Amino acid sequence: MLRRLSVVVLFLCACHTSARRHDAPAYRVVSLLPSFTEILFAIGAGDRVVGRTQWCDYPPAARDIPSVGEGLPPNVESVLARRPDLVVLYNAGPNVTAAKQLERAGVQTVLIDLNRLEDLGPAARTLGRLTGRQERAESLAIMLDSLAGRPPPPSTTSLAFVVWDNPPIIIGHGSYLDQLATQAGARNVFGDVGAPSAQVSLETIVARDPQWIAVLADTAVPPAFAKRREWRAVRAVREGHFLLLPGSLFGRPGPRSGEAIQQLRALLAR
Amino acid sequence: MKWTVLAIVALLALVLSVVLGPAAVPLGELLHSDIVWNLRAPRALLAFLVGGSLGVAGASLQALVRNPLADPFLLGLSGGAGLGAVLAIALHLPGPWALPIAAFIGALAALGLVYRLGLIGGASLDPRILLLGGVAIGAFAAAITTAIVSLADAAELRNAFLWLWGGLSGASWDSVLLVALYAPIPLAVLLAASRPLDLLALGEESASYLGADVEKVKRRVYLAASLLTAAAVAVSGVIGFVGLVVPHIARLTWGHRHRSLLPAAFLGGGALLAFADTLARTVVAPRELPVGVVTALIGVPVFALLLRRWTVA
Repeated sequence: MLRRLSVVVLFLCACHTSARRHDAPAYRVVSLLPSFTEILFAIGAGDRVVGRTQWCDYPPAARDIPSVGEGLPPNVESVLARRPDLVVLYNAGPNVTAAKQLERAGVQTVLIDLNRLEDLGPAARTLGRLTGRQERAESLAIMLDSLAGRPPPPSTTSLAFVVWDNPPIIIGHGSYLDQLATQAGARNVFGDVGAPSAQVSLETIVARDPQWIAVLADTAVPPAFAKRREWRAVRAVREGHFLLLPGSLFGRPGPRSGEAIQQLRALLAR
Repeated sequence: MKWTVLAIVALLALVLSVVLGPAAVPLGELLHSDIVWNLRAPRALLAFLVGGSLGVAGASLQALVRNPLADPFLLGLSGGAGLGAVLAIALHLPGPWALPIAAFIGALAALGLVYRLGLIGGASLDPRILLLGGVAIGAFAAAITTAIVSLADAAELRNAFLWLWGGLSGASWDSVLLVALYAPIPLAVLLAASRPLDLLALGEESASYLGADVEKVKRRVYLAASLLTAAAVAVSGVIGFVGLVVPHIARLTWGHRHRSLLPAAFLGGGALLAFADTLARTVVAPRELPVGVVTALIGVPVFALLLRRWTVA
């Protein structure tokens, strides 16, 4: 009898936690991707964020929040030390394991895809629902959806995103940066490569002859490989046609994606 | 006859790597094409020089440590080079040549440490301690490298590993000239040591009875082979299997006489790497495979066949 009672009590407790989990908005959120941090601040839930990654540098107020480290994969202990009631993770291999560990420790988690422009709207809605900021999230999501659904302008120039120089790694079709370029009116010369990024031969870059070489860089000086002899076979490198894109704005999809597109368009029009 | 075949194979590998590539260059324009002159030709030559150097370094080290498993990278050089490259990125060393130079210095540092360990028992260089020391120093350097990569903030540090396993993308006439001026010195030292190396294969004691100055030969061979490998890693990263497999294949055909074995290993190694790089650039174009993947995919089956032959014989 006692045993049956305790089972019933346990069952009720389980119902209770899961009910709280799904209805009540989260008040202590740990965000494990800079994009999520930006979205949370944009929908007015910035004051709920109690933990961030070391890369979360926008908006400036985010820097006052304690960092829990790299975030991918997260250090589960330092995340738990922030006593969160919700942890937002980027949906990728090592994070799935971490999410399970966090769930076992009794913390609600959510894994969100955020690889392309069209992932932004749904991400904003999910975060709005979980933090009780549905209305502002909905208006942000509508703005982001229209950004993703906008027919791209005709391309007037071409570029190649170079992620690394030796071996040359470029950005292909399946990526956010490719979408940014298209929306800014530039054709990615490696748009035929299906993968988000890929290693290519230098001679392929020479043959495809992009007008611009785009690199994510937080400095105003062209990358070191611009001075290497083999790279000078690329016309855009010889002519110094580099687009130096700050990683904080261009390296992540987020509420500022529209701004990134506009800045890229302005840079291309120079 | 076998020399003619080898020479033809080597020449063919060089010609193919200039003619074939992911960018379509019509045969008629081959001699005037910028792509061919500035990218393919130096890359083909660099592949040949690096492959040849690795072949010779591997053959000499296998004789020196009397271990068929010896590979130019077994003696800790890849670990040292990787640490150098990561430090260059972490410390933001400027200049287009910062990475290769730092990797070269890292490899030299590892070489020095392993050499010092090899002398630990006294004045005589012990091949067993050389092997153990190489593995230990390599693992230690790799551990420090991984610690730096996981603790430092720069996201680009992860790319240092790409560089280390990178292959021949950095080829230019500058790097070809550098290797062409540098490599002949250790190559000549090793070739000059062919006769003592033959004797060394019989065992150190027998070699010294037969008149070889064993200690001097061991030091010379170890330093020359390592200096050769350090240069290879600086211009092309760690390329596996060439230095392991090519000497064994050459030994099957040319026997154990180093006077002919070493030149054969040079031509064979050069041909294999030039051919592997051509495949790496073309089979998945416009994408590219890391060349180390291709050398392993070609080298390991050949190696397995050889092992079978040895055990059957």
